[in-house]
Amino acid sequence: MVNSALSFLVLAAVIALFFAYRNRAMILHAPEFKFSLAHLPYYAYCSFYRMLAAYVIALLFSISYGMMAARGPSWERVMIPAIDIAQSVPVVGFFPAAVYFFVALAHGSRLGVEMAAIFLIFTSQAWNMALGVFEAVKTIPEDSAQALEAFGVSGWLKFRRLLMPACVPKLVYNSILSWVSGWYYLIACEIITVGPAHYRLPGLGSFLMEAADRGEPLEIVSGLLTLLAVIVAMDIIVWQPLTVWSEKFRYEFAASSATAQSLGMFAALSGIGPAVTRMLRAILMPGVRAINRAFEAMPTVHLLSRKQAQQVSRIGQVVLISAVVLLFAYAIVAGLAALIRTLDQPWPSEVKQIPAATVASMMRMIVAYAISLAWTIPCALAASESPRFNRFLAPAAEIIGSMPATALFPLIVIFVIKVTGGMNLASILLILTGMQWYVLFNLLAGVNQVPEDLKEAARVFGLSRVATWRKLTLPAVTPSLITGSLTAWGGGWNALILSEYFIYRGHTYQVMGLGALLDAATYQTGNGVMILLSLLSMILVVIVLNRLIWRRLYEVATERFKLDY
Amino acid sequence: MALLELKHVSKSFALAKGTLLVLEDICFNVEEGEFVALVGPSGCGKSTLLRIINGIVPLTSGQVLYNERQNDGINLESALVFQSFALLPWLTVKANIEMGLEARGIALAERERIASVYIDKVGLDGFEEAYPRELSGGMKQRVGLARALAVEPKVLLMDEPFSALDALTAITLREELLDIWQARDMSVHTIVMVTHIIEEAVELADRIIVMGSGPGRVVADLKVDIPRPRDRRAEVFNAFADKVFSLIEERG
Repeated sequence: MVNSALSFLVLAAVIALFFAYRNRAMILHAPEFKFSLAHLPYYAYCSFYRMLAAYVIALLFSISYGMMAARGPSWERVMIPAIDIAQSVPVVGFFPAAVYFFVALAHGSRLGVEMAAIFLIFTSQAWNMALGVFEAVKTIPEDSAQALEAFGVSGWLKFRRLLMPACVPKLVYNSILSWVSGWYYLIACEIITVGPAHYRLPGLGSFLMEAADRGEPLEIVSGLLTLLAVIVAMDIIVWQPLTVWSEKFRYEFAASSATAQSLGMFAALSGIGPAVTRMLRAILMPGVRAINRAFEAMPTVHLLSRKQAQQVSRIGQVVLISAVVLLFAYAIVAGLAALIRTLDQPWPSEVKQIPAATVASMMRMIVAYAISLAWTIPCALAASESPRFNRFLAPAAEIIGSMPATALFPLIVIFVIKVTGGMNLASILLILTGMQWYVLFNLLAGVNQVPEDLKEAARVFGLSRVATWRKLTLPAVTPSLITGSLTAWGGGWNALILSEYFIYRGHTYQVMGLGALLDAATYQTGNGVMILLSLLSMILVVIVLNRLIWRRLYEVATERFKLDY
Repeated sequence: MALLELKHVSKSFALAKGTLLVLEDICFNVEEGEFVALVGPSGCGKSTLLRIINGIVPLTSGQVLYNERQNDGINLESALVFQSFALLPWLTVKANIEMGLEARGIALAERERIASVYIDKVGLDGFEEAYPRELSGGMKQRVGLARALAVEPKVLLMDEPFSALDALTAITLREELLDIWQARDMSVHTIVMVTHIIEEAVELADRIIVMGSGPGRVVADLKVDIPRPRDRRAEVFNAFADKVFSLIEERG
């Protein structure tokens, strides 16, 4: 509890520090948004390069962070909970803060907005990849590590021969997930910039928003199709070949997981995948081999003796660590000062709305979560009974689930507002799109892990359908359901921020809720106290829910329902 | 002078509560050209002792002298063979064997030449480009052996090298190991092998060091005076094996 409170305070300080740049961020005049189909490829390129930039940074970060955290128990104790906390920040809510910070950093140039978007996507991609690297390094069999050490393999050679290859399967798997969530948040950022904020990011998200705003069906459909095409192309050209390739880097006895296989999306097009793989291999492999050869032909030069090299690396480490610690200490001190300065201002009357708004938002989240469960659990049960249904459902869900639901937000909102005149239903629908896939994917993964012989045993002993669900399937998927729910709630909070406040044709639609308070404060009143308090309230709710409900449930579930008989 | 001298070697691990003593006051020498087997019940710390001799596991107190000198860190003139083979699944047979050479900074062409010599020696011809997962257990251990021999060590340290193999494969590999050792045409003449299979120790070793557990210590140090080649069904062989077995039972 003390730990949680402390880390919350640190987080609050860091966020306050970002917000402190608000006063320095000057208004940027949005460049004219050229809205025409001819510009669509350009917008697709803009979105894609943002994704790519963020991903490259996330990749480098996750490799260094994950490997450092795996160095020893004392590193692990600090670095892994830090990720846990970072994960509880709703990425979308943090976007305005990031914009202020980076626009100020870039001296008011438009580059700042780009940097903020890239930073945001980075934060949605990096954490799970870093955890993946950490787990991969931690689960390297001790014998392998010792064998290398006994033969004197260390440093760069060890990194190249052992650490990096061992991470490949988990990195590829998590990269696919990271791109899915990256698209979701990128589109969200781009939508925000067209809607309420004054910064405009040219991209597919802003194009879709503009198209929905103007009510141009042709442009809406072309925008969506372009997005779909980019995602499908990425999957066929990059992820499927990489998934196949990554199998090479598995330790045999580590059960080759079915989930990794099924994540190679768009299985319907699987014939194209291998063909592209072969083609790419034919084109790329000679080059790769040549580089490898060149690398290997270089004899390892020992400029320094073993002892000296150790000393140099130790000094380097101390310098690096002290730099990070100093930077962090500065950030916390400056952040706390900024926090106090901000909260020292007179509090607006809206602050009193925060508790009620929190309850209202929670209600929406609960309804959306209930709807998610209501359709995903029957689907998972059906998939467990019928392999045919499973074979159809898994790839279909992956195709739909990998489309960023945020791209449909403008359409959904505008449609619902037209029909019902209010935002409440739209808001719940949007939250639902942010939640349901996580639940479904985890449930399906859980269903696939139920051992065949247990299913046979249920049949042999003549268990009825309902009894099989109660005694076998539901208990067996419970840990996966809880993991999925935890992630779903994380996605839900982000969707919530987008969903409670919407500007359409100059008219602001909003409902009572924490997300609306945050958005209104950010984009309307610009009241720093309100922005900070509503964002922090949301983070607090997320942390409390994780600690009090999800983590405990997870511990109980894994203890009771683990399949390690 | 002995090639390896272990003087009062002790090892303890730090636990949540206090420390666990796994090896206590181990003393013995290994002569150049000797084949020594370490036998004992599971948990007597024999594998840990082997790793202490190599240097990847640091000792708590005592000394390990190699050529009368104390080694700090890993003794690169020794090479380890693992029970689990410990091959990297993403490297080919050849690349696995070359790994130790690469660490020693040997250039590519020379590495390839050395690797092919030992691939030939352990009978892996034709499997150079195969991946470990495509090989049987026996073939994998040949790779493990070739990887160790390729760095041309003075001492070969083998940790239950044949325990993960089926009985027939193990017999073949034991004979091949003996052939390689007795040919004396390589740098390595000295072998220290950990095993829990008593017949294996009696068949291969010049000397058997029997260890007891809780904490691990030397219980007996026996010279195996059965002439080679040894017949596994001969009476002297079985009598010797019985003697070792009863020593372990009594004092292990």
